[in-house]
Amino acid sequence: MAITRRDLITNIAKAGVPVAAVMSMSTMASAGSESTQAESLPVPNAAVGLLYDASLCIGCKACEAACNEANNTPEDISGDRLHEAPVDLNVFTRNIIKLYKPTDGSPSSFVKRQCMQCLDPACAAGCPFQALYKESVTGIVRWDGGKCIGCRYCTISCPFSVPRFQWQGFNPVVTKCELCSHRLAKGLKPGCTSVCPTGAVTFGPRTVLLLEAKRRIKNSPGRYYQDRVYGEKDNGGTQALYLSRVPFAMLGLPEIGPESVPSSSLRWQERVYKYFALPALLYVGLVAVIRKNLKGHEAEALEQEKETGLRAQQ
Amino acid sequence: MSKHPTIAEHLESSGVSRRNFIQLCSMLMATAPIGLSLTSKKSVLQVAQAIGKTKRPSVIWLHFQDCTGCTETLLRTSAPDVAHLILDVISLDYHETLMAASGAQAEAALRSAMAENAGKYVLVVEGSIPVKDDGVYMELGSKPGVQVLKEVASQAAAVIAMGSCASWGGIPSADPNPTGAVGVDSIITGKPIINLPGCPPSPYNLLAVVLEYVTMGKLPELDDIGRPRFAYDRVIHENCPRRAHFDAGRFAASFGDEGHKQGWCLYKLGCKGPVTHAACSLRHFNEIPGVWPIGIGAPCLGCTEKNVVWKMATFQTVPIHLATPPDTYPPIYTSVGGAKVGAAALAGAVAGALGSATYVYSQRFQSSHEAGVERIGADANHIAGMDEAAKHPVQKED
Amino acid sequence: MSTTVIKLPGTTRPRWERAVPVYGVSVVNPFFIGLIVMALLALVLTTYREIVGLGPVSGMNDMFGWGIWKTFNVVVLTAWGSGAFAVGTAAWVFGRKRLFPLMRMALLTSMLAYACGLCLLGVDVGRPWNFYWVFFPWNWNVHSPMAEVAICMSVYAAIPLFLENIPPVLERLWHFDVRLQPIVEKLEHILHKFFPLIIAAAYLLPAMHQSSLGALMLLAGQRVHPLWQTPFLPLLYVGAAAFMSFGCVAGTTMLCCLVWKRPMDREVLDEAARITAWLIAGWLALRTLDLLFRGALITAFRFNRYAGIFWTETFLIGYGGWLLYRSLKDRQPRTMFLGYTISSIGGMLYRFSPTTLAYMPGPKAMYFPSTIELLIAIGFVSIGIAAFLLMVKLFAILPAPAQEWRDMAHYFKFRKPYISWTRYFNFGFFGDIEPKESD
Repeated sequence: MAITRRDLITNIAKAGVPVAAVMSMSTMASAGSESTQAESLPVPNAAVGLLYDASLCIGCKACEAACNEANNTPEDISGDRLHEAPVDLNVFTRNIIKLYKPTDGSPSSFVKRQCMQCLDPACAAGCPFQALYKESVTGIVRWDGGKCIGCRYCTISCPFSVPRFQWQGFNPVVTKCELCSHRLAKGLKPGCTSVCPTGAVTFGPRTVLLLEAKRRIKNSPGRYYQDRVYGEKDNGGTQALYLSRVPFAMLGLPEIGPESVPSSSLRWQERVYKYFALPALLYVGLVAVIRKNLKGHEAEALEQEKETGLRAQQ
Repeated sequence: MSKHPTIAEHLESSGVSRRNFIQLCSMLMATAPIGLSLTSKKSVLQVAQAIGKTKRPSVIWLHFQDCTGCTETLLRTSAPDVAHLILDVISLDYHETLMAASGAQAEAALRSAMAENAGKYVLVVEGSIPVKDDGVYMELGSKPGVQVLKEVASQAAAVIAMGSCASWGGIPSADPNPTGAVGVDSIITGKPIINLPGCPPSPYNLLAVVLEYVTMGKLPELDDIGRPRFAYDRVIHENCPRRAHFDAGRFAASFGDEGHKQGWCLYKLGCKGPVTHAACSLRHFNEIPGVWPIGIGAPCLGCTEKNVVWKMATFQTVPIHLATPPDTYPPIYTSVGGAKVGAAALAGAVAGALGSATYVYSQRFQSSHEAGVERIGADANHIAGMDEAAKHPVQKED
Repeated sequence: MSTTVIKLPGTTRPRWERAVPVYGVSVVNPFFIGLIVMALLALVLTTYREIVGLGPVSGMNDMFGWGIWKTFNVVVLTAWGSGAFAVGTAAWVFGRKRLFPLMRMALLTSMLAYACGLCLLGVDVGRPWNFYWVFFPWNWNVHSPMAEVAICMSVYAAIPLFLENIPPVLERLWHFDVRLQPIVEKLEHILHKFFPLIIAAAYLLPAMHQSSLGALMLLAGQRVHPLWQTPFLPLLYVGAAAFMSFGCVAGTTMLCCLVWKRPMDREVLDEAARITAWLIAGWLALRTLDLLFRGALITAFRFNRYAGIFWTETFLIGYGGWLLYRSLKDRQPRTMFLGYTISSIGGMLYRFSPTTLAYMPGPKAMYFPSTIELLIAIGFVSIGIAAFLLMVKLFAILPAPAQEWRDMAHYFKFRKPYISWTRYFNFGFFGDIEPKESD
């Protein structure tokens, strides 16, 4: 006789109650701290980052040129085959200056876009084989070509649309700013910050940059948008910090909120698959039910065989 | 003095003072186009030393189907000292226009020049060479021009095709090209050939090539049709003094109108600047600034380009292939992607096919059902066939 | 059409009692050749893609990193073809015995949908040579939905799904040669012993990865329109897979019966239609409640294309479900078939939307597949269909009354007695338990 729904649910419940209790208690414990997730996210020891003050930027694009030189990338002349003038980040362009110019005459602003080096990066959270990973010491998010399968999930999950996949050729790479790790290793600063003529973008430990940003806000009240540093708490905190006179959303920096994208979207996934307990439990239950049904099925198959005189089919 | 004096020795014997020589060298450094090794030298003395040590190379200059304009352009320098002195840097052993000899003496001069400097002289060719009907349309001393060219070029170290005629055929090659006029590189292979198109080209193109060869012993970097990059890399449009007018949309609409008088862009009058590779917009003619076609209000004809001059009508406007360098900034959000017609049509076709298939088959369900056949889909024939077959037992055992 | 009603021997309705290969129909016909041509074209274009990269052959760009290969052939078609999961769970876990005759069709369609989808996934990824990391569990990013999808789908297709599809092959081998019978029986016995473990995995794994296909778009956060973005996305995805795959299995079976003139078993189809209708009702309720409690329902009443897509898919799914319900009453196979088709299309649209139509990476970003991209996608689907047409004629997949098996015997005995090398169809080895004269 086939197992009834009642039996199935009872079986699972018998085994599942203690597990569920444990899991719900652990998640409730962590639920309370979600509102201050930014503070509870671990900041790497020597977390380094950038401070970009859009109000100081003059749009000279020296940082674009220096970045290409520091990383040895060829020029992006895809626009008119003559001038290096990328219109967006791409496989040759790890940072780019864009212009926000409103048509109604309100103040315009340049913005330097590159990897935000998030404290809880969505790209690394989604990468199946950890090709994108956050270095534990400096916190720089780096790409390992030896593990990448080119699935482009990072391009979907990054809320800032930073990682760029190489669409040409049979050996595509994923490119993004890695804060010139090779230069840092030699004691140099990243290419962009080394050439900025106005000091709009500066490099340093995140803590120091955050203090500097707050100092600037305090010294010039009302100058900066909402007297706020973008990246202090946004998306759970990022290592690339922004100061701006115009709203951040106008510069293409989305208002995500203080909770990082991976933690707010994958909360239930993590709960359901914690310790792989629920799936294992379900598997055991399924095996039990199917075994019961199989016996009944076999008996019926035998009967049919006798009736029709034809060999039973599995 | 030796039979082949160095330039320093020659100049001394000509009565040119060392001061004038150094002055010449500094003028060369200043006026020589960028892109030559000459301009990368640090001091005048280095240049003077380099030039002074070199032996004057022998140059043989042949004329074919020409108008002698290319020779004239060489002489059109407002400061005769410069040209004269520069010509002192080379030994012009055969030049039909400039030399005093003629007739049999001229032919003898050519033969002895070739014999003395075999393998070392530079051949400069002016004018196109007719190849039709075995080259009878132009003869030098009863020999077809083609044959003379081949003979003289066979012993040359390098060939310089001076002017559009020698580079690709020029005026004589305009439709219908009755004589079969072609440029040097259609006839000569296996020798380094430098094309200096232009009608006429700037004299400094030739002088710079010669200087580079004389001082450095090598020829300048060429593009894929043999033109030196330092002069033919960019198009007129890129360095045109009237470019600001083009960018701002200020065009002369007809000759003599207000815009034309103001010196506005001549694009709408058919200026071929955007598709003509030459350095005329940078280095004007006759050593007077502003003395060049566009500078005097005449739209560029594109005289260096084989596919432009005498192929396109004088007042026909050209498409612009090189856009204005983008001095604007990219916007915050870029537009990317979009549907192509073919793909959209294919997607539509597939969707349509699937939709109609669904409709057709659902109708067949309907018709089968309405026929009241209890066994849906089965047709009478199938069952009838089986009954028929049952009446005939199998003939052979298996 | 004649209006005579043909009565079969016996007055009972036709019942599906066993799977019978489709006989008397040649494999090669213009449609099949057309499919093969499309498949070959796709293979040639795939080679081109491997050489030049993804950019020149597809419409994918920096903003839309996923094209129809991932979002349609994998996310949508594997769900539509997850019949082994949905129908199997209904039959084996919830004890709906009437659905057993559909199992082989479900298993075959699933196998082909997953095979084509996974092969195309291999074509789509940019650096497939690094996929060997799947064998190093310590390197998996266990929190990543992408890892879950990649690993779970590969394991599922390679082991449980594959093993479940072996019985028809073994059956044919059993009939092929008497000498093979002991080996086959031994293999069948082994398989039978592990059966519960295999098919429990075959129902757990698809539940996991069909939901993870939904979880993929969770990580896109605000970039998916609020009408679709919800924490319930995985659950809604697996629910859509369930009712879509019923449509695939039952609808395809109905179509095959129509084309190859087999009787349809009303009881089985009614059961399937009933289950599907309930699944659709439950799914629509869940979706509506989710939209209501998130406060996103109001966005459905704006005049933009997102609302348009939402209402289209809701209408298609709802109308399909209603048609299925009505077909139980009005006994019309056309209504049932249309119900399955329309609800499947609606389900496909639902699963496709968050990845492409409702995905907003930037205000000026657009995506449309290129011609080559479309041709490759169509070509891989054609391979699946062609393989299906071949398998259904080689192996016993399509259900029929037991009488059909005997008709097959007659057919080969009297029509093609000279075909003795096709022992499967040779009358002498027709699988009668004891050699006896057939009626």
